[in-house]
Amino acid sequence: MHFYGLPASTLLTIAAIGAAAIVSLYVLKLRRRPVPVPFVRIWQRILREKEATSLFSQLKRILSLLVQLALLALLVLALGDPRGFASNKSRNVVVLIDGSASMKAVDVASALNPSYARIDAAKDEVKKLVRGLGGSDRMLIAQMDAAVTPLSTLTGEVADLDQAVALVRATDSRADFPRALRFASDVLLGLSSPEIVIVSDGNLGEPRDAAGAVHLGQVAISFVPIGKGGRNVAITEFSVRRYPLDRDRYEVMLELYNASKQAEEIELDLLGDGNLVDVTKLKLNPGERLPRFYPNLSGARRTLEATIKPANGGRDDLPADDHAYALLPDQRRIRVLCVTAGNTYLEASLLLTTYLDVTYVAPSEYPVKGQTFDVTIFDDVTPPVADGSGSVLYLDPRGESSPVKVDAATLVNVGFDTLDKKSPFLRWTAIDDVYVGRAHRLVPEPGDKVVGASEKGALLVTGRRAGRRFLALGFNPRDSDFVLRIAWPLFVLNVMTEFVAEDPSYLSSFRTGEVWHVAVPTLSDEVWLSAPGASSPKRVPVQDGRAVYLGLDAGFYTLEAGPRGAAVKAEFAANLADAEESAIEPVAVLTVDGKTTGSVEGFHVGVRSEWWIALLLLAVAITTVEWATYHRRITV
Amino acid sequence: MSPRAQRLAFAALALVLAAAMAVLYRRYVWNSPDATLAWTRGATTYVLRSPRLLGLLLVAPFFLLILPRSLADLPWQQQLLSLGLRLAFVTALALALSRVARTERAEHVYTVFLVDVSDSVSSESIADAARSLRQFLGARKKDDRVRVITFARRPRLVEMDEAATEPPTLARHDTDAATHFGAGTNLQAALQLAYGLFPPGYLRHAVLFSDGVETDGDLLAEANRAEKLGVKLFTVPYRGAVPGEVAIQRLRLPDRVKVGEPFEIHADVYASRAGQAKALLYQGEALNGLDGARTVALQPGVNDVLFKSVVRVGGEVTYRLELDPLGEDKFQENNRVAETIDVPGRPSVLYVEGEPNRGSPLASGLDRQGFDVDVRAPSSFPGSLRELERYDFLIVSDVTAEQISLSSQELIESYLRDLGGGFLFAGGPNGYGPGGWYHTTVERILPVRMDAERRKDMPSVAMSLAIDRSGSMTGLPMEMAKQAARATVDALSADDLIEVIAFDSTPTRYVKMQPARNRSRIENDIARIQAGGGTEIFPALDAAYQDLSVVQARKKHVILLTDGRASSSGIRDLVQAMAAESITVTTVGLGAEVDDQLLSLIKDFGGGRYHKVPDPGSLPKIFTREAEMIAKSSVTLDYFPMKQVAPADFLRGIDVATAPLLSGYTATKMKAWPAQEILVNADHDDPLLARWRVGLGYALAWTSDVKARWAGDLARWSGWPQFWGQLVHEHMRQKRRSELPMKTDVFGGTAHAVVDAFDADDRFDNNLESKLTVQGPLPGGSSSTVLLKQTAPGRYEASFPLDRYGSFILRAEHRRRTEDDRVVPVAVSYGHVSNPYPPEYASFEPNLGLLGRAAETTGGSRDPEPSAAFDPAGESVTFHQDLWPRFVGASIVLLVLDLLVRRIRFFDRKFLPKTRTV
Repeated sequence: MHFYGLPASTLLTIAAIGAAAIVSLYVLKLRRRPVPVPFVRIWQRILREKEATSLFSQLKRILSLLVQLALLALLVLALGDPRGFASNKSRNVVVLIDGSASMKAVDVASALNPSYARIDAAKDEVKKLVRGLGGSDRMLIAQMDAAVTPLSTLTGEVADLDQAVALVRATDSRADFPRALRFASDVLLGLSSPEIVIVSDGNLGEPRDAAGAVHLGQVAISFVPIGKGGRNVAITEFSVRRYPLDRDRYEVMLELYNASKQAEEIELDLLGDGNLVDVTKLKLNPGERLPRFYPNLSGARRTLEATIKPANGGRDDLPADDHAYALLPDQRRIRVLCVTAGNTYLEASLLLTTYLDVTYVAPSEYPVKGQTFDVTIFDDVTPPVADGSGSVLYLDPRGESSPVKVDAATLVNVGFDTLDKKSPFLRWTAIDDVYVGRAHRLVPEPGDKVVGASEKGALLVTGRRAGRRFLALGFNPRDSDFVLRIAWPLFVLNVMTEFVAEDPSYLSSFRTGEVWHVAVPTLSDEVWLSAPGASSPKRVPVQDGRAVYLGLDAGFYTLEAGPRGAAVKAEFAANLADAEESAIEPVAVLTVDGKTTGSVEGFHVGVRSEWWIALLLLAVAITTVEWATYHRRITV
Repeated sequence: MSPRAQRLAFAALALVLAAAMAVLYRRYVWNSPDATLAWTRGATTYVLRSPRLLGLLLVAPFFLLILPRSLADLPWQQQLLSLGLRLAFVTALALALSRVARTERAEHVYTVFLVDVSDSVSSESIADAARSLRQFLGARKKDDRVRVITFARRPRLVEMDEAATEPPTLARHDTDAATHFGAGTNLQAALQLAYGLFPPGYLRHAVLFSDGVETDGDLLAEANRAEKLGVKLFTVPYRGAVPGEVAIQRLRLPDRVKVGEPFEIHADVYASRAGQAKALLYQGEALNGLDGARTVALQPGVNDVLFKSVVRVGGEVTYRLELDPLGEDKFQENNRVAETIDVPGRPSVLYVEGEPNRGSPLASGLDRQGFDVDVRAPSSFPGSLRELERYDFLIVSDVTAEQISLSSQELIESYLRDLGGGFLFAGGPNGYGPGGWYHTTVERILPVRMDAERRKDMPSVAMSLAIDRSGSMTGLPMEMAKQAARATVDALSADDLIEVIAFDSTPTRYVKMQPARNRSRIENDIARIQAGGGTEIFPALDAAYQDLSVVQARKKHVILLTDGRASSSGIRDLVQAMAAESITVTTVGLGAEVDDQLLSLIKDFGGGRYHKVPDPGSLPKIFTREAEMIAKSSVTLDYFPMKQVAPADFLRGIDVATAPLLSGYTATKMKAWPAQEILVNADHDDPLLARWRVGLGYALAWTSDVKARWAGDLARWSGWPQFWGQLVHEHMRQKRRSELPMKTDVFGGTAHAVVDAFDADDRFDNNLESKLTVQGPLPGGSSSTVLLKQTAPGRYEASFPLDRYGSFILRAEHRRRTEDDRVVPVAVSYGHVSNPYPPEYASFEPNLGLLGRAAETTGGSRDPEPSAAFDPAGESVTFHQDLWPRFVGASIVLLVLDLLVRRIRFFDRKFLPKTRTV
């Protein structure tokens, strides 16, 4: 036994003083009230029983004294907070509580508590385990979702463990089971009787990832299954993309998944900017995945949401996957500066789209002070690039300021003999047979990409200079029949689209449970992120122009870049979108490292390491009994 | 009030009190939604952490209930005082058990030191960390506590006293090859393990010693969580000297490479110190032809090492660079990198020819038709599917089964079945049955069978055995030669003809040409052969020629056995003359003294084989095999016209009827439908050209040859190039059908592939059924398939772990289900990913940016002063201070006081008479 409270010497002192006081009080002779008794027969009886009464009286006094001393002993011992020594048989337990989205399922709810979810049931189960810890056992409670978060230390303190259990909450992500298991085995490395307890509905998947399968060695593993049913229809994909050429229109993809064992009828609502766009009633067979596409939509400018609910009212067991979010790419007008002495073909191609905001200046007027542009086109001129020019398209560059070296020799009657048809600059174009009367060979630098070349040299080169993207065309388009082709405006449009990164690969929503790398709209490293439901934005780190964040909750996020008050805002959406997580049918048995997990054993509610509690409870019991015996003169 | 009434009143009061207390307890404690009960008094917050134990107070009415029935000899004032003290005693204990606590603020710091001991960290750096750790521990204040975690791929808590002033030993994690925990760095896992060490009541600090090279996890993402959990992170980058190390960081290939045009390959080679390394650059499986091996001088830092190369045949080409540093090099894992490039070019044909020097008619014909033709000998057959995949069509011509290994034959089948390649098997003296292809993988994939019945109208085989009986053959060689001759007779059919000529300086016909059915007589004649004399080959061959030229047989063959050297004069002309009459000659050289050159020449011109035999014991086996090969051969040497019997697109514009005659072919039998017979021998209706589908590809059988032996006249025909060009075009691998671009990346050991699909009018192409095949690591490697899932309009994605290192090629097949429920191919996508070696070995310079940003995110800093790790910096932490011991102490005092009240009479000391006595 070991005292965690007052030291033994202090306890002995207190005990000695208390015992002395108690004994002294019992040594004192009580003054008894004189009671005149008129009846001789009573005196006779008293005298007859005197011997016995005297002995009984003495015994009662000793018993009473012993009871008081026992009470004192219990209290003094409790002050010492005594505990058993940790032994080799002391268990070290890591409890992994599943905080994934499926734990939000309310299949365990009752009529009295309709919001009682699996996560609540899991917490209750863990509380039982905490109460059942052995005297010298230690436990660490951790939540596993997309990451693993220890909520306590490895401790035997019930209060600390209870507090840790209270912190557990379910997220909108899947659980990273392999990572959680590795964490647990790292904690238990070298400790006696190591054990992992998994409290989950079992929808955890195979404990294997890029680092391979998880091996637990001698660590025991047990499983507390949570959950009853599995009626759930989910939105497992929701995304939107603008059409590359018709950017006013967009297409929505949505996938529904019926994870139930019976057919389900649902009502699907599609909302754009908060307004109802479409309502559909659908029937899904058991296990059916139903993709749906909404082509040629327009109207919504920014946000799209999809919700489902059972057609007959009510709700399914997991509401968390009944709502999905997506954001349309920002349709900001692209600011284009055209530095030209006049080029009808160029001007005509720039007129074909409505989302360009074009400024024309003569070469002598460049740079334009006080204005910034997304794209600058240098038509037959090659001045030094000024700040705020954005990405640059060079048409027939020359001289020192050219981003690539230009051969002085003129190439005559050439064409594109090789083309990088995968290049986004050449999307939907056919320029294999463009005839170029005069051109100059471009000499790319290491890291540049040749998009098109004749047999005599590169004619179309892209790359990056001082962080600025460029595309250089080695001839004046007017010296070719390029400008007479439909490919010419498409080419110009592709350049604009590619330079402002609004390409068709735009991501309309992130997936929860993954580390997001969100493009920051400015060069600032000061980025603040507002998560759905969060009271205030959090600062997040930026790496390579992208904010890094492990997202656990679905919904719309706002990202602010730059100093507070002058920050540039950007939004994005996040969804659970995980069919495996939506399949909420609980699993009865888990298999880890080739071993089938058993049920938890050895957790018995009873007297555990905190002996002082038992001592005080005993003291209360004794004092209650003693009160009755004293007043009935059994003790004195 | 009567005593009874008094007791009843007390009982009622106790019951009412008990009921009221129970209701209040149930409402405010038992059913409370909060696990704790808290209240604030002044600036202090008190909390009951186990409030349900307040239920002990429900015993209070019991004390009251007992009082009216008390027999204690105490005045009522003292009884009430005793009751109050007893209630106070129980209340104190109930509060203690309810874990009453109050919030306190503390500025103690609990600091966890995280020390990177991964492979990328030098021992000097770890020693530096130990020294720094000592300085940090020296700056600790009295109440601060520390723990130390070392980490590489996994973190490990180091045993130490929390109050220790000396740092513990910082050991590397095990370097066992099986687990190799040092080959990786997971900063995130280390930080997560630290979270589980911070006890309540302490400010949480973590100090990270690392180079910031992380191979798993994401420190920046974890920094967000650390900040949320109140952990302030400080980072100390390793700046010590890096160990001697050479590492290939990247192999840079040009975006576009043209067939036949030299280009440059840049290798970014990191060297921590100046030195030299031997560099080997492979193109596919062979050394890069232009610049394959050399020694390069390396300067500290990243070196740009330049190679020149040229690609002769288009397709995907894998380059592999291997370095062998000549100085110190800590890790070998990073000395090898492979990259793949897609080289656009003309369709390519691999032409494996048994006689490469005679392959020009077909090769030049295909070249004129726009194909890149790679003519190879059988010994250069590609060793991997990856290498074979570079070609769109494969021709195997006049090659024996022995020359194409079983694994190569299986490669051919995979090439057809899985890659959709085209395969033409052309005949010749060594093709089909004569080449030993019967019952092989190749026969299985061809549309014809090779067990053709022989014709009955003439003997199938006429064989002449010319056996050297010179003096050197005395003894075992002679006996084994005779046994070989007998075995040959046994291998022939009864109608086949055989003669045995034993020769020294002159030939002697011991067995004259006769049917093999006379076995006993022939064997007796063979037994008469005796060794002795010199060696002259010409007269023996000439005798065999004279005898064979006058007999009728579909196959005429000579086996020449000799163990010595002889004059070669006239032999070449003689054998050419024999070949002109379709007499083939196989030579067998016994022992080391034979004239290899002469015997090879005879074989080359004689169209047979040359066996060099060191051990006479193997002679019977060789003779038997030769006899079986010849006997089972169904080669027909006769001029015949081609006849088209089935329509075929590739014959459009070609008038087969006008084609010159062929002079030989191998008789085969068509397999059952769906094998399709296209051309036949017009004289006998034997199949000449047949085809069928094998998996995704086509297999074609051409039973004549494709060179000047049997197709000499045809090769001079004007339609020859067109015929073969169109044939190859129609049946070659259709990889250049619609192609969708694929983007790939690798992060954290997981590869991610994305394909965007647009249809012709720029709309998203949805509902494709897409399958991604991953093959690698190259060369060779295994193949696995994952599904590409549609995640957005026109977008298909797949992620898969790369649990091996090397270069991988990705090939996606996109198909669409039609209305009649057929699945038709729509497009393909190609990509590749490279996972050269554990990222742990990729960088040796500290990632200062990452370490700085991570620290900044949590409110910490990079390169802190030691005192900063324990500086609360004005912060404090709130924690609950347990008050239960105080309540227990109070209960001891109350216990004594209660006893005092019971044992000493304070009131009614004069014992005034009671108003009513019993």
